[in-house]
Amino acid sequence: MSLQEQDIQCLQRAQAGDTRSLAELYDRYTPLLYPLALRILRSPADAEDAVQEAWIQVWKRAAAYDPKRGTVAAWLLTVVRTRALDRYRSLSSRARAEGKVEVDPVAATAEPSASATQGQLGARVREALATLAPQQRQVIEIAYFEGLSQSEIAARLQSPLGTVKSWTRQGLARLRELLPREEWA
Amino acid sequence: MSEHRPEYEELCAGYALGSLDAADRARLEAHLATGCAECEAALREFSAATVLLAASAPAAQPSAALRDRVMAAIGAEGARGAEATAAPRREPPAPARPARGAVVEMPRRSPWAIWAPVAAAAALAVTSVVAWIQSARLGAELAATRARLESLERSASADSAWAAVLGSPFARHALLEPTTAGDPRLRARASYDPGSQRAIVVFENLAAPADRDFELWVIRDGAPVSLGLVQPDDRGRAVLRLENVGISPTLSAFAVSLEPKGGSPRRDAPSGPVVMLGPLSG
Repeated sequence: MSLQEQDIQCLQRAQAGDTRSLAELYDRYTPLLYPLALRILRSPADAEDAVQEAWIQVWKRAAAYDPKRGTVAAWLLTVVRTRALDRYRSLSSRARAEGKVEVDPVAATAEPSASATQGQLGARVREALATLAPQQRQVIEIAYFEGLSQSEIAARLQSPLGTVKSWTRQGLARLRELLPREEWA
Repeated sequence: MSEHRPEYEELCAGYALGSLDAADRARLEAHLATGCAECEAALREFSAATVLLAASAPAAQPSAALRDRVMAAIGAEGARGAEATAAPRREPPAPARPARGAVVEMPRRSPWAIWAPVAAAAALAVTSVVAWIQSARLGAELAATRARLESLERSASADSAWAAVLGSPFARHALLEPTTAGDPRLRARASYDPGSQRAIVVFENLAAPADRDFELWVIRDGAPVSLGLVQPDDRGRAVLRLENVGISPTLSAFAVSLEPKGGSPRRDAPSGPVVMLGPLSG
């Protein structure tokens, strides 16, 4: 049975009320999901809250997963990213209301910590990102980790919308090229 | 059908990242609905790159307490009754947690009958985290061979400790291909879990001459280390479960050599020809 088939079986059992199946998914994927939430929110406490909300959503709404749209793992990443971005937006607006200075999340990128093998792929992707033109890297990182729309990105970078669109395409295409299939695992 | 234009491909990149403004998104979705193969392909590629962005986040572990909190919250949700699901809620059989690779009885209906259709715009057609987790498994291998080897792997992982080798998100895989010295029908596949330092290696079409044995090697710190003889059944299949294979960063490949009966006299070098070789992913 492939990992994807095992994951689907876990989701189906979770949907039927089996908490152990959800625990199994938690153990398998939290090491991939938590770093994403932390990268977006930059606070372990907020990242844990977002991951917790995401798993509760998965538990309550397992039926929302559509295998035709991608793997369970990809869906879990989408759920976590969405919850983390929601939290990020509400925290940012609160911080603005309270007059706090917002840290630029792109500039504040943490150094990679050498941990486990996940780090190997991570390091490779970070190296690939580092070779992109700075504007290309900036637009895809702002879009993915801050959840800004292209017009919001254009406003922030004071660049025309059409330019932001083409940086986005060039950046993702280049990233894809730099990470050939055999290196993805 | 609306004709493919480079402009749409550009929108596909923003779509994969979830950063399109509403008007652009509506425009692209209308175009995608007409079934543009070029855009679908572009979207797959861009989605793959997007999934990799998640992997660029520095590795980090949440506190151990998070797991308890999540499970407690889920228990509380369960007690209140979860939201309506297509399948009736029922308690699963209580005892032992099923092994990862074990076959579990599921209601047999149409396979996806219990999955409600979804139109969440956020659920992009991301296919490629597969790559992240298991693409080396796929590699250049033919689907049929893969299915056979996977079925062997399944039988090899009947208990949960070994199933964990295959289920680990950090597992590394190697597809062993015949070298010019090997029978071109030779096939093997290795899965290695860095956490437990265990590996499962499955072989097919192995047929050694009567006076010879196959020997499996791992390349550790650039040098071969014997993992023992491979003894196929009468159909040429073999499954090896290996412990203490080594620490992940030191391992680069698996290899098979054809040796005199009993194996190479040395544990650190094959004496016969190397007939199969496969680099480890990751």
